Amino acid sequence: MPTDTLHSTFAALADPTRRAILARLASGGEASVKELAEPFEMTLPAVSKHLKVLERAGLISRGREAQSRPCRLEAGPLREVSDWVEQYRRFWEQSFDRLDDYLHELRRGENEDGEQW
Amino acid sequence: MANNGDPNTKRPEQELVITRVFGAPRELVFKAWTEPEHFVHWWGPKGYTTPFCTIDLRPGGIMHQCMRSPEGREVWTKGVFREVVVPERIVLTDSFADAEGNVVSPTHYGMSPEWPLETLLTVTFDEQAGETKVTLRHAGIPSGAERDGAQQGWVETVDRLAEYLAQA
Repeated sequence: MPTDTLHSTFAALADPTRRAILARLASGGEASVKELAEPFEMTLPAVSKHLKVLERAGLISRGREAQSRPCRLEAGPLREVSDWVEQYRRFWEQSFDRLDDYLHELRRGENEDGEQW
Repeated sequence: MANNGDPNTKRPEQELVITRVFGAPRELVFKAWTEPEHFVHWWGPKGYTTPFCTIDLRPGGIMHQCMRSPEGREVWTKGVFREVVVPERIVLTDSFADAEGNVVSPTHYGMSPEWPLETLLTVTFDEQAGETKVTLRHAGIPSGAERDGAQQGWVETVDRLAEYLAQA
């Protein structure tokens, strides 16, 4: 996993406004800067600054056609971060599967020869 | 807004939480977690082995282990117990390490430099009618998020976005 990508993705995700912008794009599809700015008490330039960070991190892309340059969510870097969290989840889920099997084994042994664990 | 790993200042949003109910008494599940002769039988993903494990179960005591992948790749990790309440709860740090027990950077094992040097594991064992509910919290936040001063919520954000990606 390219760590420089993860680095910029995490830095971009660190800000609650930027997370809210991503969540908005995830649920509502494309949106203009003005639309994205609406829920926040922020100036358009301030929102544009956040969008630049997101764009640099590859988390969003912006259309060239219209003057509004609509923003859309880009899945790639997020997939890498979610893979990374998933890695830890898998580690523990698989360990727990093995622990479950092991506990069954222990208890079977206990019943067969009357031994205490 | 630096977070130094104090469990009291951790927020739930930063944690990976996994719960599982095991059909065994709590004392046994606790032992399986805290005694090396049991621990080596289950820790790690499917197909992995644990060729080395020491556990000094007391506050300040060290847990040091090696995990070997089916391909023979070894990963050493180490933890320091912060809290031990037999047989209810353990809290310990979790770091990558070498065979001598020195903490090493996650990058040593090809992990992201954003993964903190130390994460915190809280494991609780709740007895429920002869069964045991284990709740594992793996708390850790990328240092990049700490630097930016707004640290909570990233795991949840990622989870939510992962759901979205699954549909895309």
